[in-house]
Amino acid sequence: MKQVLAIMQRELRHELRSRKAWLAILLYTGSTVYISYLGLQNSVSATLNTQDASIHNTIFWLLIIFISMFATSGSFAGRESEMFYIYTLVSPSRFILARLIYNGLFLLSVSLLAFFCFQFFIGFNNTNLILFLLTLLLTVWGISSLLTMSFSIASKGGGGFTLMAITSFPLLVPLLITAQHLSEMTITGSDTTGYGGYMAALLALDAIIAALCYVLFPYLWRD
Amino acid sequence: MIKHDILSASWWKYLCVVFLTYTVVAGFLMPAPAMEILHETIRNLYFHVCMWFAMMFILTVSLYYSLKYLNKPTEDYDIIASQCAYTGLVFGILGLVTGSLWAKYTWGDWWTNDPKLNGAAIALLSYFAYVVLRNAMDDEQKRARISAVYNIFAYVMMITFIMIYPRLKEVDSLHPGNGGNPGFNQYDLDSHMRMVFYPAVIGWLLLCSWIASINIRTERIKRHLLNQ
Repeated sequence: MKQVLAIMQRELRHELRSRKAWLAILLYTGSTVYISYLGLQNSVSATLNTQDASIHNTIFWLLIIFISMFATSGSFAGRESEMFYIYTLVSPSRFILARLIYNGLFLLSVSLLAFFCFQFFIGFNNTNLILFLLTLLLTVWGISSLLTMSFSIASKGGGGFTLMAITSFPLLVPLLITAQHLSEMTITGSDTTGYGGYMAALLALDAIIAALCYVLFPYLWRD
Repeated sequence: MIKHDILSASWWKYLCVVFLTYTVVAGFLMPAPAMEILHETIRNLYFHVCMWFAMMFILTVSLYYSLKYLNKPTEDYDIIASQCAYTGLVFGILGLVTGSLWAKYTWGDWWTNDPKLNGAAIALLSYFAYVVLRNAMDDEQKRARISAVYNIFAYVMMITFIMIYPRLKEVDSLHPGNGGNPGFNQYDLDSHMRMVFYPAVIGWLLLCSWIASINIRTERIKRHLLNQ
């Protein structure tokens, strides 16, 4: 546990120290949301009809994927040289545990930021904010573990960002379909009676992804 | 380095020819139940559905050998796993084509937002990613190990999606036998259809294995020549 915390601390310090990385994320988030706002101007109003709401919903989740992808690849890239020391110090399962937790928290804060930007410029009128935020939390958690894994796969494969996108997009679909259904319920204000099943599905997906990362990561550990 | 094993045996390939000839002949000539919406397109059961069975079968074989590879890295396991995955991709594409043609005449559209179609799309995309991933790496052992990891990851995600998604509210499949559509579940698949369907499944599974076996044997020879 101590080791897990130490790795997380190290990641955080690294993140804060490289000002370039988090400024880039801020800029990326801000500008993508603003571009969507410019495109969506005609349909921005206090009361959205169902169709507009579902377009906003789709764009929101697309932004979340791309921002997460950008943030993940930026925060782990170019650090292969340090990895050499980590190999000798900790076991792979501890390392992946730390990375999953750290990356989950990191992406969660980034996506919350994206959500606030989106709310500020474009504005959802959520009928059930708690449900929406819960959906965001569970989905982003799943996305972050999946991206952590596919980033490890891609960086071993030497393909960088492209390979990461190719390997993770198909596997992200289940999470995103479920998330879209849930958030559409809260945005369009339709009844939210069926949300339990979707929530359970999201939880199950998160658990399965995390378990797969934990079991499979040791095989990616060393060359 | 020609191995004589079940892959090079010929008896099951004759069996495949017999079953598939029977499938095509009987599939088009035997009586089929007259159902509304479906009509004669019900015969697509002998082709389209079997493609998915064959795909799932061969991808499961691929998963099995990927697991075996991670347990004990052996070049041959990697060959079998990768070639089975490629073959599965071929059958997935065939499944989509047969399904898409059928959907055009039955539902009036090439593609619909149906849970089963989404599942198929994810399966195909993730196995295309598998192919890209393999081609991105040159080192054989590294490629074998990493693609085995990805194979397991993709397979489990695909199965989870196929299991979870159709059970959710509001997402009823348009497929025959789902959501009140007339179709062929185990109760109304009549005995004439069974007489063709079961042999058809076996026939297509055998054909799939046959194609995979040719791929595997070619790849073995290629690696052998490269290593010389």
